[in-house]
Amino acid sequence: MAEMWINMGPQHPMTHGLWNLRIKVDGETIVDAEPEVGYLHRGIEKLCEDRTYTQIIPIADRLCYGSSLTWSHLYCLTVEDLMGIEVPPRAEYIRVAAIEMQRIASHLMWLAAYAVDLGLMLGFIYGMRDREVFIDLLQALSGSRLTYNFPRIGGVAHDVPPNFERDSLRACAFMEKKLDEYEDIYEGSKVFMLRNEGVGLLRKSDAMNLGVTGPPLRASGVKYDLRKDMPYSVYPEMDFEPVTHKDGDCYARFKVRMDEMRESCKIIRQAVTKMPKGKWRIVAPRNAPAGTGLGRVEDPRGEGVMYVVGDGTDKPYRLKIRSPIFVTVSAAPKMLIGYKVADVVAIMGGLDMCIGETDR
Amino acid sequence: MTDERGKTNTEQDEGLEKAPSRIDENPEERIIRALLDSFPTAVTDFKKLGAGIVRASVERRDLFKTCKFLRDSQGFEHLSMITAVEYESKFELVYHITSYQHRLLLELITTTPKEDPSVDSVSAIWGGANWQERESYDLMGIKFNNHPKLERILLPKDFMYHPLRKDFKG
Repeated sequence: MAEMWINMGPQHPMTHGLWNLRIKVDGETIVDAEPEVGYLHRGIEKLCEDRTYTQIIPIADRLCYGSSLTWSHLYCLTVEDLMGIEVPPRAEYIRVAAIEMQRIASHLMWLAAYAVDLGLMLGFIYGMRDREVFIDLLQALSGSRLTYNFPRIGGVAHDVPPNFERDSLRACAFMEKKLDEYEDIYEGSKVFMLRNEGVGLLRKSDAMNLGVTGPPLRASGVKYDLRKDMPYSVYPEMDFEPVTHKDGDCYARFKVRMDEMRESCKIIRQAVTKMPKGKWRIVAPRNAPAGTGLGRVEDPRGEGVMYVVGDGTDKPYRLKIRSPIFVTVSAAPKMLIGYKVADVVAIMGGLDMCIGETDR
Repeated sequence: MTDERGKTNTEQDEGLEKAPSRIDENPEERIIRALLDSFPTAVTDFKKLGAGIVRASVERRDLFKTCKFLRDSQGFEHLSMITAVEYESKFELVYHITSYQHRLLLELITTTPKEDPSVDSVSAIWGGANWQERESYDLMGIKFNNHPKLERILLPKDFMYHPLRKDFKG
């Protein structure tokens, strides 16, 4: 049969954002694929060169609408590395608790979108409803629901609200029960399992070579989690296990994210109970010294890295942002080739794409 | 008899290799030593930046060889990030390379002159470098030799500037 190119996007229900997937098909089988990004490029790296260090925190929030807190946290971590600032321990615990809440909220949003992609409308409603619990906690903490602008260079903006510990523990207990329920619902759905198991295989060697990070990497059997292997903040004091799965298919990625949410609940519980008393913020200098700073975090989507070059003024000379999905999506052809057109939705949905951070 | 003796020999050898050494215990110093042994003149300016983070500078013409050595014999499986920084008289390219097995991060810095901003592409070594090099080309105008498809990625194909350069004003 004659081969032809099909555009899926930039306006397509599969894309979850503004990007284009060109696939070459032979009948129903994909023989070549080419993702195209850049529709949402806002030039954030250039924008940052004309802002002071504190003004960039809300811009960093806008990198990803699904998990904005990890990005502003990563930015603050990077600038603290440049300035050589030690953050008070209470702030670190507040940050860790907040990031893990953000991770659960982000994974739940992925779960909801993934469910509705694969014909499980119930999963969308459930996922979005229960995500609200953590959004409410973050709102109590920071005052906003989506872009929090909460971390500061040298700490966090506020102390925790009253009864934060009680509410967080309740939310964790609630979530752990819900996760079992989700797994029953999803795995009990024959359609969901048929479209997941054995689809979008990514071998371990390919995953490492193509720069895939985060849950897709761990689903291919590589046990590497920056929270454990190159720990930052107070993660060394937390007791948790990086989640891996050996299969490397869409179902493995689903499983890894589900188990990661359980681990996040464990971390939140430890962070809020162990939280020491004391200051939650120190005042950072306005000007950064000349030099470089590096921050690396385990974003819900993979490895987020920022690299800042300071020149002694109050504005960064250069800020480079490494987006995990930008690199992961370049590995998409490896997962797509050989599968059917109907599998595209499962494979690309399973990567948890966020175009805000991809295009920057 | 021969078998037995052979076995004892290997056991002895293993015993010798496992003898405690300060350098073997310390992954940062081990990678510095390996680079110094293999590239005595090309790789310079070693600095330990923190736990598991090493910085080094490399000559532009030896970049590909060094990267191949790092992946093939030092276990650096993952290229985290490529950064291009513009200075008054040069471009600096910073490669952050991760070793999953040794839990190391290597910050490899190479410079290119302003008149000829080009380096060898490492996308043949790490597939993950492909798009990141395209991004550096798109936004900063660095040319990567032997890149399979060096085209703009974030900006439209007919865009005429490299916007992250300092002489580009919105």
